[in-house]
Amino acid sequence: MSSEARTTIKPGLVLTCTKCSSKNFLDPYPFWNFQGNTKCAGCDTIYAVKFVKGQLVSGPTVGSGKPDLLPGYAEDKNGAGITGEGQIRPAPQARPDPFSGKQKQISQSVRGKPVSGHPLKKEELVGSRAKFIADLHRI
Amino acid sequence: MATAPDFETYCQELFDHKTAFGKPEVLKGYRVLSCTQYILGPSCASYLGELGAEVIKIEAPRRGEPMRHTTPFNEPLLYPLSRWAPEAGTGLGFFGANFNEEFVSLDFHRPEARQAMSELAAKSDVMVQNYRPGTFDRWGIGYQHLSKVNPRLVYQWLGGFGGWGPGRVRASYDILGQAQGGAFGITGEAADRGGTPAKHTIWLADYWGGMMAAVQVLAALYWRDTVSGEGTFIEYSQVHGVTRMLEYALPLYGRYGIRRERWGNWDTELCVHGIIQCGKSSYPDSKNPQEAEVGYILVTAHTDEDFKKLCDVIGRKDLATTYAKHDDRVKAQNQEPVYEAIEAWAKDKTKEDVAKLLDKAGILNQPVWNAKEVSEHPHWKLRGAVQWIDDPMYGDIHAQGPAFKMSDTPPRVKWTMKPVGTDNEKVYGRLLGWSKSKIAEMEDAEVI
Amino acid sequence: MADTTFPKHKVLPWPAVPIPTPDEVYRGLTDQAKEYPLSLEAQLRQSDNFKKPENLTTVRVLDVSKGMIIGNWCSSMLSELGADTIKCEPPDGDPLRWLTPFGRKEYMFKDAETGEPIGLHFLHEMRNKQSITLDLEKEEGRELLKKLVVHFDVLIENYPPGQFDKWGIGYRQLKEINPRLVYAWVGQKGQWGPSKDKPGNLDPTAQASCGFVHGTGLPKEFGGRPTRSAMWMADQAGGTSTAMGILASLLYRDKVSGKGQFVEGTAAEAVIRILDYNWAWYGMDGSIRPRYGNWDLAINIYAVNPCKDGYFMVGGGHDRLWYRIWRTVGQTRADLEDEILDDKSLRVVVARLPHTKQVKTYTVLADWQKDHSRADAMRELLAQQVASGGVNYVDEVAEDPHFKYRGHVDQFEDRLYGKVLYGTTPFIQHKAPGRLKWIGRPLGYDNEEIYLKLLGLGGGDLAGLKKRGVV
Repeated sequence: MSSEARTTIKPGLVLTCTKCSSKNFLDPYPFWNFQGNTKCAGCDTIYAVKFVKGQLVSGPTVGSGKPDLLPGYAEDKNGAGITGEGQIRPAPQARPDPFSGKQKQISQSVRGKPVSGHPLKKEELVGSRAKFIADLHRI
Repeated sequence: MATAPDFETYCQELFDHKTAFGKPEVLKGYRVLSCTQYILGPSCASYLGELGAEVIKIEAPRRGEPMRHTTPFNEPLLYPLSRWAPEAGTGLGFFGANFNEEFVSLDFHRPEARQAMSELAAKSDVMVQNYRPGTFDRWGIGYQHLSKVNPRLVYQWLGGFGGWGPGRVRASYDILGQAQGGAFGITGEAADRGGTPAKHTIWLADYWGGMMAAVQVLAALYWRDTVSGEGTFIEYSQVHGVTRMLEYALPLYGRYGIRRERWGNWDTELCVHGIIQCGKSSYPDSKNPQEAEVGYILVTAHTDEDFKKLCDVIGRKDLATTYAKHDDRVKAQNQEPVYEAIEAWAKDKTKEDVAKLLDKAGILNQPVWNAKEVSEHPHWKLRGAVQWIDDPMYGDIHAQGPAFKMSDTPPRVKWTMKPVGTDNEKVYGRLLGWSKSKIAEMEDAEVI
Repeated sequence: MADTTFPKHKVLPWPAVPIPTPDEVYRGLTDQAKEYPLSLEAQLRQSDNFKKPENLTTVRVLDVSKGMIIGNWCSSMLSELGADTIKCEPPDGDPLRWLTPFGRKEYMFKDAETGEPIGLHFLHEMRNKQSITLDLEKEEGRELLKKLVVHFDVLIENYPPGQFDKWGIGYRQLKEINPRLVYAWVGQKGQWGPSKDKPGNLDPTAQASCGFVHGTGLPKEFGGRPTRSAMWMADQAGGTSTAMGILASLLYRDKVSGKGQFVEGTAAEAVIRILDYNWAWYGMDGSIRPRYGNWDLAINIYAVNPCKDGYFMVGGGHDRLWYRIWRTVGQTRADLEDEILDDKSLRVVVARLPHTKQVKTYTVLADWQKDHSRADAMRELLAQQVASGGVNYVDEVAEDPHFKYRGHVDQFEDRLYGKVLYGTTPFIQHKAPGRLKWIGRPLGYDNEEIYLKLLGLGGGDLAGLKKRGVV
């Protein structure tokens, strides 16, 4: 990720930190009519902001105290994602382990029986299905 | 003669999903062509497949239809996508809309496609398609063409906005239908309580729309087979369906200019009949955030008698005096203090604690169950509402059961779905008389 | 005491904006371009409805459900398609008849003959149905029901599980009297099972019990909570799917078996059927589907976000649309378009799906939307062939030119209830379309006609039944 010539975004729902140049994404649902403190996920600087119908009517002003609401996501000045706990709000999760970003390798259902939930090779097919599934149904 | 079993046992035996396969099928002998993508069209055909129709799903060669390529969080897929692409899978976005079907591929743009479709339509009872209006007509397989080939064909088109009118060019998306049709704007917490409109978590316009279309197909088949002998053309607009669902909103607006607004988890017509928050999680030690979250429960106590009982339970007899009559407590400004009082009482309880206390007092309630609680609940498992399918293609799959039950000719789930083009040889060979080599040739040329 | 000055505000007669004419709708198109939509109109326009037959003319339906909308909805599916449908209510009426939002009696309509008020929710679902009364709590009432069912193809009831069986008018008993009867029980969760229905369970009981409520609304991380549908929507889905079961039963009866059967439809199971991948996902790795508000777990861009004058939907999962959306945004906010295009991690479709990427996507998009009304945003996106649209409020639904032109919304002049604006039947069909004949009936309006026609009970008999509270 190039560190020069990154886009400058006009002040609004994207809060660019004046201290560390991180871009903080103040996601629309919680922030649309928000008034209070948020913080920069990159360097913990507290910012006071006021939004009315998504319009930034005052701030961001560097302040002090505790953040009332964390950003939904942030990227540092090089564009790398900032995702630590306490920096941004957690993502909705379906399981204990967080989103992996990749197709999962599943070979067993939640009750321990075979499921064709992982990529296959041509030689592992019988017709249009996985051989290990076809074998289960062999009479 | 033995004593008749008690009613509950009688029902349990009559509707047991495990005995469904021993009973006949309503649509045995009916053939449905499903030239569909996404959810609206496919689900209509799938409901007919559950009733026993032979449903042939026709998709683009190799890649199949777009919904195969969506899956939550990108993670769960079922493999192979097809025998040409075993390293790729079908996403769960496709799951649920294509039960019991035969899967063939066909490129509608190729000249051979028109002839193949014509021949298939000649042998079919129902055509279901949800391509943009006019597309199939341009390809020579619209209602005007296929009804000449087969006057008994019931031709069901589905889409967002229909094929005529100022908005006919607009693309069909489920949440666009929800939004434009009005269901989205009235659902969610009230505006003056800081709420926003909320999307229905299901593809309501599409999946329920498919049911509406299936109702019409069944009615048209009934009419054809008992009265007229004729097919017909049906146009289902999914945004029209949503507008049908708005209850009292349109009559109220039309005569009195009053606009129905959001009312969150409470009911505009009945009080108490609302979903409240319980302060404690039912699974405080769970590492899954879905389980660690606090619980919610629906409380129903709208009769004067039940309301009084509820007020006793929550230690607020004063409310039963202040709002003794339903007409008082159902007023907008009075519902808030009532629900706040119930929620205050529930603040130190799990939803199960609340349910137990309300059950004891004879007050109706329903905990809000998550996907795991539903999946593991003995009620839903017994009834086959959710069931484990030994799927011939994919193995041990947990799936939903049919939406309704019939005693003599029950709908059933035979398999959940198949890879693209699995049944090319079976269908084209059997129905169109294509030889094995012709099929191979057509597959290589990606006509099918 | 009714407020005779209600409403105090001026009410615009509908339509406030005239319905476009075909010339206006297709202006500027070549004859060839007009041909297809006009050919559809020739086949489908509702103005021709009454020249055409109905699918279900030969079917007679008796709906004795009360208190829940699921039975009314189910019988509406059939009555819209032409079934001769009779709603049979207790002598003091289906309780739904008297409900009105926030208890406001002034919202109710009154019929022209008797002045009896009717709640608008019940009215909207009373379409094409006649009204008789019958007290099934009384033995004499049940005996009359047994005589009535001989004349019906379909019975719909939603009494507590086992009640009709106990009274001797359940499926087991009625099928002996009329073996051709299709008997449908409808409810929230079922007649059997560890969590079967208790008397008085109403939607959203079904919505809460099936996973729908848990999955709807803003995520906890956005400050949201599980949310019910505004509508008794599980009842609507359950009524529709039960109608499927009823029609399937009729088809089987008349083609094959000559016999009716027992159909059980629950609101919860209709919704479970359509909670798409909840169950498969759980079965694969124990995932519990989270609420994701107005965004989508499987597609980005596919969401509703706030805008200048409300909320706005944009869809564009694949590249073709993704880039067009940002091109549109770039017309007024080049900085926002650049931010997205510069981000290498957003180049691949599947890489846009993680929650963090969706936050970035929709924050940037909302920063553009905040300066656009729904109408402006839609127009600008349409110019780039991107599908989008605003979240409509009820008045906007009523006045949308497309909905007015196609008759999704229409005003019916009912002989008894006057002008009623309503959501029309979506059963649009070439040969035998669904249609509205009348919107509602006061309580017991058709007692005289029906009891005479079906049971040969004349005025004297009926008077006696009324006196004894049976009718």
